[in-house]
Amino acid sequence: MDTQWPRYEVFKQDTPNKPHQAVGSVHAPDDNMALQMARDVFVRRPKCHHLWVVPADAILMVTAQELEKGLDSAEPDSAPQPFHVFRKDNQRRSMTYVDHVGTINATSAHAALKAAREEYGDDAFVWWIVPDSAVITSDDVPVESWFAPALEKTYRHQSAYGFVHPQRQGRRRSQSVESEA
Amino acid sequence: MEATQTYDAQLAEFEGRIARGEKIEPGDWMPEAYRKQLIRMISQHAHSEIVGMLPEGKYIPHAPSLRRKMVLIAKVQDEAGHGQYLYHAAETLGATREEMIDALLTGKAKYSSVFNYPTLTWADIGMIGWLVDGAAIKNQLMLSHASYGPYSRAMVRICAEETFHYKQGMEMIVHYATNGTSRQRTMAQDALNRWWWPSLMMFGPHDSDSPNSAQLIRWGIKTKTNDELRNEFVTEMVEQFNAIGLTVPDPDMVYDAEREQWIHGPIDWDEFWQVVRGNGPMNAERLAARRKAHDDGLWVREALVAFAQRA
Amino acid sequence: MEPQLQQALINRLLAVADDELILGHRNAEWTGHAPILEEDIALANIAQDELGHAVLLYGIVADLGGDDADTLAMFRDADAFRNVQLVELPKGDWAFTMVRQFLYDAYELALHQRLRESAFRPIADASAKILQEEIYHLRHSHAWVERLGLGTSESNRRMQAALDTLWPYVGQLFVESADAEILVKADYFPALASVQAHWEQIVIPHLEASGLVVPDTAPIDAPRTVHTAHLDALLADMQLVARSDPEATW
Repeated sequence: MDTQWPRYEVFKQDTPNKPHQAVGSVHAPDDNMALQMARDVFVRRPKCHHLWVVPADAILMVTAQELEKGLDSAEPDSAPQPFHVFRKDNQRRSMTYVDHVGTINATSAHAALKAAREEYGDDAFVWWIVPDSAVITSDDVPVESWFAPALEKTYRHQSAYGFVHPQRQGRRRSQSVESEA
Repeated sequence: MEATQTYDAQLAEFEGRIARGEKIEPGDWMPEAYRKQLIRMISQHAHSEIVGMLPEGKYIPHAPSLRRKMVLIAKVQDEAGHGQYLYHAAETLGATREEMIDALLTGKAKYSSVFNYPTLTWADIGMIGWLVDGAAIKNQLMLSHASYGPYSRAMVRICAEETFHYKQGMEMIVHYATNGTSRQRTMAQDALNRWWWPSLMMFGPHDSDSPNSAQLIRWGIKTKTNDELRNEFVTEMVEQFNAIGLTVPDPDMVYDAEREQWIHGPIDWDEFWQVVRGNGPMNAERLAARRKAHDDGLWVREALVAFAQRA
Repeated sequence: MEPQLQQALINRLLAVADDELILGHRNAEWTGHAPILEEDIALANIAQDELGHAVLLYGIVADLGGDDADTLAMFRDADAFRNVQLVELPKGDWAFTMVRQFLYDAYELALHQRLRESAFRPIADASAKILQEEIYHLRHSHAWVERLGLGTSESNRRMQAALDTLWPYVGQLFVESADAEILVKADYFPALASVQAHWEQIVIPHLEASGLVVPDTAPIDAPRTVHTAHLDALLADMQLVARSDPEATW
C-alpha cells in the first residue's frame, strides 16, 4: 500500500511586518522534515522571513457559510491554551488564503472561534483556528542559510530575461502573459 | 420533493455566489458535479505537470552551458512544485494524493497529450518553454479566475512562476533564430515544426465537440471556450514567429483582417485522439518512468513512516 | 602573485569546483524521479546550489587567467578534471545518493568554514556564500541519514551497503596535492588534515547514532587526476550539445 505521508499546512511570513499567510501544504513524514520541505517547496523564490508548519488535521477550518448553517462542536474542553486565529477577509485574486490576525486563549478550538468572531468581527469568509501547541516554527533556523539564498537565484525570475518580446509593438494590446504576471 | 427543493435552493445560492464573483472555499456547499469536474480537471492538470517533467528532464544532463543547466533544473523543479500545488488544491475537495497518483500510474487518469511527444534536440527545450508553456499559460491565466478558491490560488502562484518558463524559452529561440549558427536556426525551425500542432491541440477539442464547456463556464471554472483561447494564442504566436523569421508549419493559415486574427488550418484530430487514448509516441515510456520512480521510492516512503512512528 | 602560487591556486580551485559540478550533475539526474514530489524539489535545489558554487569558483579561476566556466565544464576531457571519484559514481538508489550527499556535505561544511577565512579575498567571499547553502544541505542529508538508517530493516540494509561502497572513496577528499604546501603557507587554503578532523567529528557520531557501522576499509589510493570510466560517460552526456556546435552560444 502506498503512502504519500501526512499533510502539513504551511504558513509563510514574507517580512517581519507582515502576517503569516497560508500558502499551501507539504506531505512530510514528521515535523522536522515538514519544516525542511516547506522551505524547499515554498521558498524557491524570495521573500521569506519565517515559516510555520502545522499538521493539517490539527486545524479547525470553517467557512462563513458553514457558520451560518450551524457548527457541530462536540469538542471536550481542556485547560485554556493559546490558539492562532487566521481569516480570509476579501475575494481578491490572490496566491495566499487566510492571514494570521491574532492569538486567543480558550479552552477549545470552537471556543477560540467564538471569541475570535467577537474580537475580530464576524465578517470573515473563512476562519482557521490553529492550536499554538501544534505549530512547528522556523525560530531556530538561520535565516541567511534557509531563506536568503533564494535572493541570489535571479535566473528563476522572469525579470532576469529582459525585453526579448519579438512581437511588433503598438498594434494592439495583446493578452500576453506579461500583462498579468 | 422537499429534498429536491432544498437542492434547487442550494444550487441557486451557489450559482448566485459565483455570479457575484465570490470564491467557493473548501467546506462550502457545492453540487456534486462541480466537485467531480474540479477533481478531474485539477488532478489531470497536476499529472500533466508531473509527466511534463520527463521530456525536459531528459535534457538536464545535456544542457549546453552552466546557466542553461541551472535554468532548466529550476524550470523542471517548478513543474514539480506546480504539480504539488495542484494536488494540494484537489486534496481540499476530498481526493487523496495516493488515489490521484494511483489513477495516473494505472492509466485511469489523463494528462496533457503534448507530453507524449519526444524531445529530440536541445531547441525543443526552448520551444517547449515558449510555445507549449505559452499555450499552458493562456489556459492557466483563465483558470486563475476560477470560482474554486484553492484552484484559483494555485493558478495565480503558477502563472507568476511560469512566466519565467515562457521567457527563458523565448530567449533561447529568439537567439537561435536571429543570432544563432545555421545549425541552431535549423534546430529552432525543426522544433517549431514538431511542436506547433501538438500545442494547438493542448486547448482541447473544438467547442462543438466539447460537451463539458457550457457547464464549466456557467460555474465559473472556465471563462473562455477552447476555440476562443486557441485562436487568441495562434494570433499572438504567429506574429512573434514571423518577426524572427521562423515559419509556422500551416500552409492553410490565413489572416482575417476584420477580426484581426490569424486563422489556423484544420487540426488532425485523429492524431489527437490516438494520443489521448494512449497510442502517442511516448505514452508507454512516460508512464513507465513514473511507475519506476514510484516503485523505487516505496521503500523510502515506508522507512520514514516507520521512523516517525518509533520517534 | 607568484606564478607558482597562482598555478597551485588554480589547480586547487578547479578541484573544489569540479567536485561541485560533477555532483550537481549527478543530483540533477534525480529531477523527476525522486521518491516523493517534495524531494524532487529539494534535490533540484541542492543541484542548483552546487552548480552555482561551481560557477562562483570557476569565476575565480577565470579571473586568475584561466578559462571561463563554460569552457572548463564543456570542453575539457576527463583527464583534465580534478574532481574526486566519490562524486562521479552513478547516482545509485536513494540511499546511495543520501549517504554520498551526507559525506560530501559534511566535508564542504568543514572546508568552507575554514576557506571563509582564506587570505585570498575572492575565495573568502565566495566561501561565505557557499557556506550558507551548505549549512542547509547538511541539515537535509543529516536528517535523511538518521531516518533511513533507523527506518526499516530494508532501509538500514541499503544505507549500510551504500556506506560500505562509498567509504573508501572519501579518503580522496583529504589527500593533499603536491603543490598544497605553498597554498597552506600563504593561508589561501587550509591543511586538509584539519578539515578531515572536523569532518570526522560531524560524520562518525551521526552514522553510529543512525544505526550504521562505520567501515574500516582502506581508502583508494588515487590522485585527483585519475578517474573511473563513469566520468567519461557523464561527460559524454554533459558535453553532448555544447560540443555539437562549438562556435555557438547558447
